[in-house]
Amino acid sequence: MAIDDIYSAGIASGWKVLDAATFTAPRTLDADVAIIGTGAGGGIAAEILSEAGLRVLLLEEGGLHTSNSFRDMDEARAYRDLYQEAAARATADGAIAVLQGRSVGGSTTVNWSSSFRTPPRTLAHWASEHAVTGHSEADMAPWFARIEARLGMAPWAMAPNPNNAVLKRGCDQLGWESHVIPRNVKGCWNSGYCGFGCPVNAKQSMLVSTIPNALAHGATLVHRVRVRKLDHDGKAVHGLTGEALGFDGYTPTGVTLSVRARHVVVAGGAINSPALLLRSGVPDPHDLVGRRTFIHPVNLSIAEMPELIEPYYGAPQSIASDEFQWRNGTTGPMGYKLEVPPMFPGISAGVLNNFGDALRREMAALPHTNAMLALLRDGFVPDSPGGRVRVADDGSPVLEYALSDYVWDGVRRAWLSMAEAQFAAGAKRVRPAHLDAAWYTSWPQARDAIQTLPLKPFRALLFTAHLMGGCAMSDDPARGVVDSQGRHHHLSNLSVLDGSVFPTSIGANPQLSVFALTAQNVMSLSARITA
Amino acid sequence: MPRPATTAPPRAQRPSRSSRPSRPSRPSRRAFLQVGAGFSAAIACSALFPTLTGCTPADAPPQAGMAFLRPADVTLFRALLPAIASDLAAADAATRETRLAAAVKNIDRTIAAMDQNGRGELRKLLDLLASTPLRWAVAGVRSPWEQATPDAVRAFLARWRASRFETLNAGGVVLVKLASVAYFVLPGTWAASGYPGPNPAVYRALHS
Repeated sequence: MAIDDIYSAGIASGWKVLDAATFTAPRTLDADVAIIGTGAGGGIAAEILSEAGLRVLLLEEGGLHTSNSFRDMDEARAYRDLYQEAAARATADGAIAVLQGRSVGGSTTVNWSSSFRTPPRTLAHWASEHAVTGHSEADMAPWFARIEARLGMAPWAMAPNPNNAVLKRGCDQLGWESHVIPRNVKGCWNSGYCGFGCPVNAKQSMLVSTIPNALAHGATLVHRVRVRKLDHDGKAVHGLTGEALGFDGYTPTGVTLSVRARHVVVAGGAINSPALLLRSGVPDPHDLVGRRTFIHPVNLSIAEMPELIEPYYGAPQSIASDEFQWRNGTTGPMGYKLEVPPMFPGISAGVLNNFGDALRREMAALPHTNAMLALLRDGFVPDSPGGRVRVADDGSPVLEYALSDYVWDGVRRAWLSMAEAQFAAGAKRVRPAHLDAAWYTSWPQARDAIQTLPLKPFRALLFTAHLMGGCAMSDDPARGVVDSQGRHHHLSNLSVLDGSVFPTSIGANPQLSVFALTAQNVMSLSARITA
Repeated sequence: MPRPATTAPPRAQRPSRSSRPSRPSRPSRRAFLQVGAGFSAAIACSALFPTLTGCTPADAPPQAGMAFLRPADVTLFRALLPAIASDLAAADAATRETRLAAAVKNIDRTIAAMDQNGRGELRKLLDLLASTPLRWAVAGVRSPWEQATPDAVRAFLARWRASRFETLNAGGVVLVKLASVAYFVLPGTWAASGYPGPNPAVYRALHS
């Protein structure tokens, strides 16, 4: 059966969608609001501003890829078309692999659909420690509710797939807290392919929800265009300059795009938003841009289970545990959330990072493999200052992230928790994703061995899929790039509306935090512009 | 993870702080590591003396059909792949060649998509491994890559991954990741990972 890819009919009916790869001569575009980036922040902003009657221009570095190309359900194609740096992005030294989206819809096109409200403790911490106002639990509640309704978010009603069931069973056996994950899906087929672009448009990414609605309200979308620089005079932004990228999605064609706009919204996400501000030389008297970039460092534990897991099929994330998230308060030793990742052959090879007969045996065991991950909550104490985004000679972003003893302590405890849960769930053997770890056949053996694993970059295999911060919000200009409403402290008509404004990490998968905070802040922006 | 018996304990090569530096005219593995920064020092040497060390010139073009990989890099990955994906050894010649070509192509496209920083780091690593003296000295591989046996390549990977030098660990991890991911995403290898392919019910419905 054919799935309506939404865009073919929309474009035929007059949607303004331009592929910059086809531009052969310089272009100039005008808009009331130019939005840079079409992910969780840009998508929500585009819908609300275009519904308010404003002329909205969306600019996206990645390509427009729709369910027509997702129907192959292929891992290699997805990494190539839908992820930053073909899913090979990493921190500057290569020690932490970065999974981040890069196409129309941004990371919402490829995320695993987990939809958590910002934890109340995180919001309270922002208010008390980072001079953030207007975003208390009570302030945010209606915005969460609005987004949950808009994007079909509800706790997953079907049984968890076997991979998630391992986490549930382990927690139950040990008396640990666990909960069902809310997902942003409508008519989900439970295929498991969220990470490769939903082949049936069930996942309510920006690609299939807010952006089509914005286009229907007259917005213009230009994709395969990289915004190089904001043009400003130190007080206001007058426009911006972009470069068209070729059909390969990466090579500039030499054709430039100039945009004039009354207001500019930066929504490139953490890493790319601060990099744009740095390239543009926006006023930054307190040297804040790019600093305090948080990543929820992720470590993993791999288990071989007696039962068939098929960790590639079924809703990829449906169970999570906060047993270790807040037990030491907000600012104690590092807290973490436990979840599972889907394990397709390519990502599995990357996580196993092994070779020869050992890799051959581990890959052959994939149908019986469970993997567990910990999202480590960074940024809540001085010992966890996060990373820093800089720009390379050519203007591309570089993320430096040093691993402090505070983080390493969390990494070790998380390996212990994961191995304990996997054995409690019946694992035959468990191996932490660490070069020096062996396959352990009992919890006591694993516990003793994990205590001695050297905590060093590259020996410990670390990942991130959650990029946050770098353009932190604070009402105190000495501590924030933007204020609590996302307004830049120095350029009057510039807003940042994406995950880069978070003053710390979230402590949960961040998409709903980005959606709701953006919706709230863009409503006040809309009111100011249309007043 | 059990280490192959051929792994040289990294500490055996660790020079004592009091030992005299080797003369720079003897580019042994020991000499390079003794400089103190290991990999970084070796890279500096390779950048300073490309003609002496036989490094690929900085402006060497990619191999035909590739966007990033130069001929020497392709040779390297064609040696790494059978060592990392050992089921290639059991494949017939035609299958083996098809998979090697496809995996190398995947690796090329992946590196080409990296930003400047990632591409630059990979270029330094690949140039080091393409240099004959540095292949001997830093990688400890005597034969040219096209003649290196899978066992010799695995011993090299194991040494780098067990090294006390973080930069060598990084090299050993990134080479394994690039090669293994590029290989196991190939549909022809799915049987080896027990992956039946795209969720059959959904795939059938979408393609009927």
